Amino acid sequence: MAQTILVIDDSASLRQVVAMALQGAGYEVLQAGDGQAALALLDGRKIGMAICDVNMPRMNGIEFVKAAKALSAYRFLPILMLTTESQESKKEEGKAAGAKAWMVKPFSPASLLNAVSKLCLP
Amino acid sequence: MKPTVPQSQALVDLCAAVLPVWARQLASSRHQSELAVTEMLSAFAEIGPHLDKASRQSGQITAALAQGADGITQLAVACDQELRPILAGLEAPAAAAVERALAMVHASVDALEQIAKPFAHETQMVSEQVERMYRGFQYQDRISQMMTLLHEDIERLQAAMNTPDADTNVAVWLARLEAQYVMTEQRHQHNPAAGHAAAGDDETTFF
Repeated sequence: MAQTILVIDDSASLRQVVAMALQGAGYEVLQAGDGQAALALLDGRKIGMAICDVNMPRMNGIEFVKAAKALSAYRFLPILMLTTESQESKKEEGKAAGAKAWMVKPFSPASLLNAVSKLCLP
Repeated sequence: MKPTVPQSQALVDLCAAVLPVWARQLASSRHQSELAVTEMLSAFAEIGPHLDKASRQSGQITAALAQGADGITQLAVACDQELRPILAGLEAPAAAAVERALAMVHASVDALEQIAKPFAHETQMVSEQVERMYRGFQYQDRISQMMTLLHEDIERLQAAMNTPDADTNVAVWLARLEAQYVMTEQRHQHNPAAGHAAAGDDETTFF
């Protein structure tokens, strides 16, 4: 069965680009426009990993990582931060929150899939 | 004719009229570009699986022609090896017929290779262009972020103009705007004189 990846970004076009890259490699994709919508989508679902933007309305990416990690079912959910933000202080914030990796946009599909293959749970 | 109101008031009136228009135009442009890119992506999503299929088929053809044990090229060589030794024992018309058959096999394999090589090259070219398109589409996200920031700052300026005790300290205003940047190029454009480390696009840091 294909692994499911949750993609969280407030830009619909960016979500679509990520989804296309993942679906082309055989992954199932769930999409959410911000952290709050992503939390609602989790709802006990089996998720292989999450790919999350940082700057989003309502609930940003760092807040989402903290909130997801606080849920026992998703304590070990690998989260890749995919963002235009490249400042080291922000990366440290993501790491402290519990993110597993940080990728700066724009990404190439090959790099994204390489990171996903390393992080995604079976 | 001299203005009947002080110049500062005239400027305030001008800004009060112009800023909302700028803000609306920016918001509209951002919305339109987002729609256009989403539309292009939808079309691309339809083409994508066909390109993948063509690429896979190209790989299969190349594999089928490969020199390995199952390859067509190897099959032609095997035919040659099997039939050549018995040619000497055949009567002339039969030997000639086998020679012709072998020549036809080799010609067919050569023809297949000539077809497959450019096909593999073309699918490689398509795959490289697809990679470029993936990156190109993502710039919409960067433009959209900057437009949103400008839109919000214009609205904030507009609100400040209508608030008598608004903080209009230039340094404070610019610092607040700068604090909202997330991309290296935004920081660079804000203050080109300051050095900014180049953004490592596509760079992954594993924790």
